[in-house]
Amino acid sequence: MKVTRRDLLVWSAGATAGLLFTPVPWKLLDDVSIWSQNWPWIPQPTRGPVDVKLSFCTLCPNGCGMRVRMAGGWPVGVAGAGCHPVSRGALCPLGFAAHQLNWHPRRLSRVCYRGNTSSWGEARVAFTKACGEGPIMIIDGHPGRAASSAFETFVQRRGSYRVVPGQETRALAPYGTWSGIPAAALGYDLENAGTIVSFGAPLLDGWGTPGRLTRLWAERAAGLADPQLHLIQVEPSFSRTAARAWQYVTIRAGGEGAVAEGVARVLLEEHLVPARGPMPSLTLVEVAEQAGVSTDAIRDLARTIVARPPVVAVADDNNPAIAALNVVLGAVGARGGIVRRSKHIRQDVCAEAAIRGMRAVLIDSTVPWDFVPQTDAEVFRFAAWDGGSTKADWLLPAPGFLEDLTDVPTAPTSGMETYAVAPSLAEAPTEVQSAAQFLSSIDPTLVTVDKVIHTRCSEIFRQRMGTLWGQDVTPVAKFVSVQKLEEELWKGAVWIGEPHHAGGLRCQLNDWPEAIGPARTSNASPPWLVPVLPSLASKLYQESGLRESPEGRSA
Amino acid sequence: MASSVLADSRWIARGAERTSLPQFLLWLAPWAVVLAAGVYAAGLCLFYGLNQTNMDNRFAFGLWIFLDLGMIALGAGAFFTGFLVYILKRVELKPILNSAVVVGFICYSGAIAILMIDVGQPLRAWFTFWHPNTHSMLTEVTFCISCYLLVLSLEYLPILLRNRQLRKLPSFLVFEHQLHNLVPVLAGVGALLSFFHQGSLGGLYGVLRGRPFAFREGFFIWPSTFFLFILSAIASGPSFLILVTAAVEKVTGRRLVPQELFRRLGFISGVLLAIYVAAKSIDTLIWLNVTSPSVGFAPWQYYIYKPFGTPILFTEIVLLGLLPAFLLTYPRSASRRRWLLTAAALACAGVLLNRFVLTVQTLALPTLAFDEFLQYTPSWQEAASFGGVIAYGVIVYSLSYRYLPLFAQPKGQNTHVPGN
Amino acid sequence: MSARYGMVIDLDRCTGCGACMMACAAENNVPPVPRATPRTGLTPMLVRKVSNGGEGVDRREVFIPIMCMHCERETPCVGVCPQQAVEVDKATGIVMQMPQRCLGCRYCMTACPYHARYFNWWDPQWPAGMEKALNPGVAVRMRGVVEKCNLCHARLHSATQKAAATGKREINPADYVPACVEACPTAAIRFGNLADKHDPLSLEVRSPDTFRFLTRLGTEPKVYYKSKEAWVRALAESNSGSGVETKRG
Repeated sequence: MKVTRRDLLVWSAGATAGLLFTPVPWKLLDDVSIWSQNWPWIPQPTRGPVDVKLSFCTLCPNGCGMRVRMAGGWPVGVAGAGCHPVSRGALCPLGFAAHQLNWHPRRLSRVCYRGNTSSWGEARVAFTKACGEGPIMIIDGHPGRAASSAFETFVQRRGSYRVVPGQETRALAPYGTWSGIPAAALGYDLENAGTIVSFGAPLLDGWGTPGRLTRLWAERAAGLADPQLHLIQVEPSFSRTAARAWQYVTIRAGGEGAVAEGVARVLLEEHLVPARGPMPSLTLVEVAEQAGVSTDAIRDLARTIVARPPVVAVADDNNPAIAALNVVLGAVGARGGIVRRSKHIRQDVCAEAAIRGMRAVLIDSTVPWDFVPQTDAEVFRFAAWDGGSTKADWLLPAPGFLEDLTDVPTAPTSGMETYAVAPSLAEAPTEVQSAAQFLSSIDPTLVTVDKVIHTRCSEIFRQRMGTLWGQDVTPVAKFVSVQKLEEELWKGAVWIGEPHHAGGLRCQLNDWPEAIGPARTSNASPPWLVPVLPSLASKLYQESGLRESPEGRSA
Repeated sequence: MASSVLADSRWIARGAERTSLPQFLLWLAPWAVVLAAGVYAAGLCLFYGLNQTNMDNRFAFGLWIFLDLGMIALGAGAFFTGFLVYILKRVELKPILNSAVVVGFICYSGAIAILMIDVGQPLRAWFTFWHPNTHSMLTEVTFCISCYLLVLSLEYLPILLRNRQLRKLPSFLVFEHQLHNLVPVLAGVGALLSFFHQGSLGGLYGVLRGRPFAFREGFFIWPSTFFLFILSAIASGPSFLILVTAAVEKVTGRRLVPQELFRRLGFISGVLLAIYVAAKSIDTLIWLNVTSPSVGFAPWQYYIYKPFGTPILFTEIVLLGLLPAFLLTYPRSASRRRWLLTAAALACAGVLLNRFVLTVQTLALPTLAFDEFLQYTPSWQEAASFGGVIAYGVIVYSLSYRYLPLFAQPKGQNTHVPGN
Repeated sequence: MSARYGMVIDLDRCTGCGACMMACAAENNVPPVPRATPRTGLTPMLVRKVSNGGEGVDRREVFIPIMCMHCERETPCVGVCPQQAVEVDKATGIVMQMPQRCLGCRYCMTACPYHARYFNWWDPQWPAGMEKALNPGVAVRMRGVVEKCNLCHARLHSATQKAAATGKREINPADYVPACVEACPTAAIRFGNLADKHDPLSLEVRSPDTFRFLTRLGTEPKVYYKSKEAWVRALAESNSGSGVETKRG
């Protein structure tokens, strides 16, 4: 039989119709659909058992409590830990993306010597040589950690140990000078304050332990017709804190000290406070001129702040005039004011930018990137992220977020003494080393971080003071063994010391302090210490226009 | 060289005078360049994604949607002429029918091509047929446009098969004949499909409850823009046919259709435009006084952002609506070719402006109290794709004109007009 | 029993820190695409800054977190989607977006009066190796599809699973808290079930200080805002260009 074209056509048509009744075309359609819904090149999250661990944020010295969601052995999400009695479940915005920081494009992953790739071995040789040749200096950004102890031990016979205090610690310096108590042992008893006058401090924008004040403000001030907490912001720019403050006083840039003097003068002249201290040198007219506000406004401000005691003034940085105002207000060593929270703290020496007579300087990764030493010494700088140009000879890659075991001493502004342990949750890249590990490799007899942590836990156990805040709140006295206590701390509990001793701090003003230099220009961005923001944060802030990215920090 | 010219002439209809092949290729060359640029730009958009455009989260629709709406409105001449010829038996319009089909085919296929670039996942476009949301105007548009493109292709096919060489194949001739018998049915189906998708394109914006500038009350499930779009499309479609034909006459230097046909088309266009303008005015008044205030939007605030002031509304309704309607229907102006063409151009500009306002102004206007008025400038990729579609249209039309009997008319009329 | 999840955002408590944006983006695996601009990025939760236009002591500012409002009635985005990629989940009241179904026509974006929908203009990318740090509960969306807030549906899913594992049908409300709510340091964002009369949120939405944006459009959004300041409440229904000064973000 001859096959005609017609036969072929009929056969094709029949086959097509028949095929439609088989599952083949529909299955194919479905497969195409599924294929077009799942491109193989789209990154997929790694799956794995999900687990939640308690830890602490180590991006700044405040050590907020975090709940870290882990999947497949990696941190995949961060949230605040409500059991932390200071941060109380809140984190600053950066914390929520901090686990992504370890993959930041500016993460340091190799040893660099003057811009060229080098090795840990060479760095060790160079540092050992420097140690043998002359004095060295170690500079620490978060003093009081176990690593800080190791640093101090290392330099005992080899040189000196210096710290770079944060803005918040610097603001407490005048009280330290006047009372003889180290500023690092002082804090604010904000929980008991009735009025907080902030001179440009970004109180609602990451100041101190970020969650502490925002939680307090939210409970006692926000949206209340008659707030129990008056938050007064004196600031040149209409900052986030100014926008939400109970009262906002706009001043000329650098006029914070003058306003403090003016307020103190009114308080003393009108006997609004019991103090009879020295009268400020500036007259009200001079204050008005310097600060760009009317004399009436200053009088009003003085009367307003004493309306709801206790009152405490908070400075943005070291400003003796504002500290003196606190003395006039009777806020030093008083409930709701500046308090002494710890008894045994050594006075640390602050690092000067100009360093002389040193053979080498080792800068820990906790030191803010904007601290650049002026020195002819050989500089060994540890850092997890590249913050831009640096004068360091050696750039040494340090562990990033949650990649290293550390302990968390009391936060700089806290009114209570705290202690916590942040174990390493993420695997560090093989190329990184912390400063403490580096020093241990040079001096194997050097005490290690975990040993110091163990000693400190034993000390807490031995003193039988304070309470442990974890899943439950347990007094230390209830613990039967140091192992049990240590176990709890390693699992994310926080130790809280005995309540502060309000009376332990006295400041006497004989003369009104000299104004020191012009105050820093008001800082619109919060005092974030990481040299780079998580990429997500930079992008979201850029895309929302909510904040300007901190200048020069994330390019 | 000579043989290639000869080869080409074998494809040209007997008796039709066409320019030489080199001259024709010279005419096509610049358009081919524009088309190539368009294809390149479209390729960039498909390969790298829509970040190649300047559209953004607020301006989610841009130049391309305006182009789609505009082309589909102007392409309405195809279905409407078919409807007039085959359903209403206005046989005097038949000479222009083939050309109208080609114009319609170009407009619709171009619009669909652009839509395929415009969606983020073109490979999933068929999901609309797989999981259709029957409540969505866009579903209706997708179904009707794709079906109507099929209809247009079927209408285009007999024209294609009437090519001198293709006719020689007996089976093609039979097929063409069969198709030709089907054409009146296709015209009916096309009219129905077009009625719905032209309307749905209007409904696309009219249903946007969240955009008070576009939102309209209406009849049953259709907002008023549904009907206004149908009206404006069938009003401007014939005008666009006049323009296209006049342009072809200008380029080829031939009179292709009797002047009377122009006047006839113009009259139809003018009358419909007048009805449209009346309906549009009533709709605008209802919208300004009832619909918009009822959702708390004061009408004045739509017009405070430049360049979208009230002059644009005036231009749309009076200068590009009422005026051409008058010029197209008033015998003294309609009988003058120059006036007629001007009026047709104004009518087409009017419908384009209407589509522009609805697509662009709707998105530019803020809704929340703290939104700002946004601006958007198309990227070169968007503009080039746009240009590519126009070049595609010119090329397809030129090829069709050269090789197919677009303007079928008695012998002797298709002659060279001296001095033109 | 079906739920109607909703929110009250207390604007008097919002300090505009952006923690909600950050937590939302981290939870939902939003890629930090370097080339995205403020108009082509993904911010399912977007905090905007609005001032009253005053100067000096008259100046007031408010931060307004904007997200999908989960409209209940004539949900503008649902009806327009040609292929049912958007739906209102009857059991929860959540307006769901299915990225796998979306063809990226963006019609829903033009329909949304709150501009709360975002298109993936860019391929999702992260620094090399960072897939390990992504949230395993949320699938990454590919380029060319629309996305928006789904009230952290993945968290609801795990809460449901957890309840089912213990043989319960109802979830424990404590198990289902969206990331932004959890992150807000001032507890300005409150979340709850509006269908539950005993939920504190149901009481709060009846407060005279509570309002919603653009209720006049009749879409019944389920995200409420709250402020004691009259000028802030007036923003809800006032027309744009009526004097308030705005800044994106």
